Amino acid sequence: MSPPTGTTSPRHRLTDLLDGQFMARLDGLDLFSRKMLQGKLQGERRSKKRGAGVEFADHRRYVVGDDLRHIDWNIFGRLDQLFLKIFLVDQDLSVHILLDVSASAATGEPPKARAIKRLGAALAYVGMVNNNRVTLSTFADGIVGQLANMRGRAYLPRMAEFLLTAECEGPSGFDKACRQLTAGRIGTGLVIVVSDFFFKEGYESGLRRLASRNYDLYAIHMLSPQELEPELSGDLKLIDVEDLDDAEITVSGALLEYYRRNLAAYCNEVQGFCRRRGATYALTNSREPVEALMLNYLRRRGLLR
Amino acid sequence: MEWLAPQTAAIAAAAAVPALVLMYFLKLKRREVLISSTLLWKRAVQDLQVNAPFQRLRRNVLLLIQLLILAAVLFALARPVLQLAAKGGRRHVLLIDRSGSMGTADAGGRTRLEEAVRQAHVRIDSLRGPSLLSLSESGDQAMVLAFDRHAKVMCNFTSDKGRLRAALEAITPTDGSSRLAEAITVARAFAQSAGEEENNRSAAEAAQLELFSDGRIADLPEISIQPGELQFHCIGKASDNVAVVALQARRSYEKAEEVHVFAGLANYGDAEAVCEVQMAVDGTVRAVRDVRIPPRRPETPTAPARPGKIAVSFVMSHAGAGVVSVRQNRKDALPADDEARTVLPPPKKLRALLVTAGNAALESALAACPLARLDRMTPAEFDAASGEGGGAGYDVTVLDRHAPAKLPRGQYVVFGPPPPDVGVKTLGTLKGQFVVDWRNRHPVLQFVSLENLYTAGAVRVELPRDAAVLAEFGVCPAIGLVRRRGSAFLLVGFDVMESNWPFHPGFVMFCYNATTFLGMETGRERQGDLAVGEAITVRAGGAKEARITRPNGQIETVSADPSGTFRYPRTDRTGVYRVDVPGRRPEAYAVNLLDENESFVEPSREILLASTKVEAKAGGPQRANQELWPYLALAALALVCVEWLVYNSKVRL
Repeated sequence: MSPPTGTTSPRHRLTDLLDGQFMARLDGLDLFSRKMLQGKLQGERRSKKRGAGVEFADHRRYVVGDDLRHIDWNIFGRLDQLFLKIFLVDQDLSVHILLDVSASAATGEPPKARAIKRLGAALAYVGMVNNNRVTLSTFADGIVGQLANMRGRAYLPRMAEFLLTAECEGPSGFDKACRQLTAGRIGTGLVIVVSDFFFKEGYESGLRRLASRNYDLYAIHMLSPQELEPELSGDLKLIDVEDLDDAEITVSGALLEYYRRNLAAYCNEVQGFCRRRGATYALTNSREPVEALMLNYLRRRGLLR
Repeated sequence: MEWLAPQTAAIAAAAAVPALVLMYFLKLKRREVLISSTLLWKRAVQDLQVNAPFQRLRRNVLLLIQLLILAAVLFALARPVLQLAAKGGRRHVLLIDRSGSMGTADAGGRTRLEEAVRQAHVRIDSLRGPSLLSLSESGDQAMVLAFDRHAKVMCNFTSDKGRLRAALEAITPTDGSSRLAEAITVARAFAQSAGEEENNRSAAEAAQLELFSDGRIADLPEISIQPGELQFHCIGKASDNVAVVALQARRSYEKAEEVHVFAGLANYGDAEAVCEVQMAVDGTVRAVRDVRIPPRRPETPTAPARPGKIAVSFVMSHAGAGVVSVRQNRKDALPADDEARTVLPPPKKLRALLVTAGNAALESALAACPLARLDRMTPAEFDAASGEGGGAGYDVTVLDRHAPAKLPRGQYVVFGPPPPDVGVKTLGTLKGQFVVDWRNRHPVLQFVSLENLYTAGAVRVELPRDAAVLAEFGVCPAIGLVRRRGSAFLLVGFDVMESNWPFHPGFVMFCYNATTFLGMETGRERQGDLAVGEAITVRAGGAKEARITRPNGQIETVSADPSGTFRYPRTDRTGVYRVDVPGRRPEAYAVNLLDENESFVEPSREILLASTKVEAKAGGPQRANQELWPYLALAALALVCVEWLVYNSKVRL
């Protein structure tokens, strides 16, 4: 993809999503794929730069036949044993970020869509500033928007424009979006899904598609505080914002208790599904600062370093 | 399909349907809340419903209301009643008096018959219906029987209240006198049968007789009932009445065109009555007189109450036939007895033939009658003459102890054995007989008393069914009237010379009445004056149909019966009935009430039967078996509405 030419002041600016201080902190982070890291520990060098430079990753014992140029003589001088330096291999990291912009994402106070877009922008920012190929997709009933193969800061404005203009509407078609995403050759890398995962058709087949390839799959379950702790009372008619399905309830303590149990069970179910397929699951809510999620939680889980 | 309580359903629908529609519109709308997904909420609701039975049962307004609704509906199905008057499945006979006195208009403008029907309706409403859920248990049944002189079954035993009510409405008033014996006999006979609905009711189960009457019933002393068998509902209040209780118009013996009219008036009120009495012939007023009638004499321990009476007579000159009427113009409660009529035959002297071997008493009695001609023949002469057709030409033939086998057509008075071939069976002879009963209102026996009439020997006869028995011995008829093949036979079943009758002044009167009755051709003929309910009988004389004009102008057609007679029994209203037989001049028949018992309109609060005194039930029939299920059903309906309101209000489960 060629970088955009000409500079017209974008109507939507990245700072509408990420403040400068946060972006400064993001500059020191990079995205990591655990699967790639594991596969390349047999001695190949890895680097984030195209075709040049090495970055030390680890040591290993010398075995007859290894390249003598990689022997770490400092270790030999100290331990009188031969060890090889392992470097990062120069390889493209494809990052696919799949954001939920269905009608359900627009609910909540603060709206989940805001948090989803900010998180998506932050992840895309980290990936793009570190020269990874970032593909940003939004989905409702299938993929409704996509910016593919963005690399470098030049695409940041466009990314911001894309996210800020994305409307949250329509029903969720997660499986369809995953099918569309995996239909093209997207290589290996990271796939990060940020959604509320309230799919009446089910999340399993979609996640199964993503988890079946050699993707390092991260499922970030974004809920609103109202979904976690409903503040409802009386006789209500709940209307599903996506399919207009309704449920008449009379809110009581028992009903709320059953709801919380069902929510916890649902989240555990998604988590268990992800774990069984080697995916990483993270539960967050729209009130929690994206900064804390990015800088603390996701760094602990190994997505960011 | 029939509806037993359509009004109840209509009232309930009128109340419930608008209320339900109103509540539907007033139904509290739930607050609508947009959420991200109903996925988990629906699961939560399902979990709540699944685990609800295991929740601790808490106080629930809705549950309480629903239990009350269920209780109301269950009680309603059980059809509870108030004041259970009788155990299941009793039979009731509603005897409705429709005689002349029941036409009295009491306070409120309603006649007594209308009031009796109204009270009978109340009684019918109190009947217990059959159980909804039991096929074997049946409800109360009732029968409607209207009576005056005769009884008429309006509706056989049934529990169908609609049919019973229709039967009550079909009862028409009459001006007749009231006789209860026939009604009770009919009621008891029907009570032995199964009724209109099949059930296993025992024939021995006595029906409850309920009498709706003013108590003015003539034959009460002849009726015997079981204790408690009869319930009497006294109808009526008024007692003031002035009635014409007797009327006769006779032509002078000496001057045929001179007519003497005798009328008797009775005052049943407590005060003297001043009234105007008018006498008319064929509707033309001929004389008016003001009279004062004394008040009735109250009842004393030794004598019953008696009305105040006065006799009024008129004399007028009237050469032809006509209908003489006497009317009192004072307004009172019972108009049917304010006027009486009598048919005045044209003056005619009869030609009579006496066939006798010698009978001084009979000869002298007949000689005293105002006959145009009285001839005598011996039996042999008569037989010879009648063989040659010579017996004709006489209005009346009197046969004294002579009963030839063949008689020419004519009118006969027969003393002794009856002629053969007139349908009378001779069963033997009797010795030493007294006349025990006679019909003193029959024209033949008017002003004739047969009391203490004794005969040493008599013929035991069996009269045909269509014969009229005018007097009776203890074991068989004494005097009868038989019509056969166009002839009329007044049969006296004994020899007057073997009796003490010739010594009675009534004997001459009898001879006069007999010859007049048979000779004047008024069919029951010159029986122009009838009591209400008495049938009009006219010789057909070959005609097939006759037209009867009732007092209200209505015309009915009557066909001749096999015996060659027109018979019209529906003389249930007073007035003049005209009979038109083709080929003959029209004949008039006057039907009068002339019944002191009926004119005595003061209701009797107790009736004295043969062996029992029955007092009237105070207050009339009450609604004994008031079903409560409609109220329970309405309560259930109201509770359903309350439940709807509670459900839709903010009540936490």
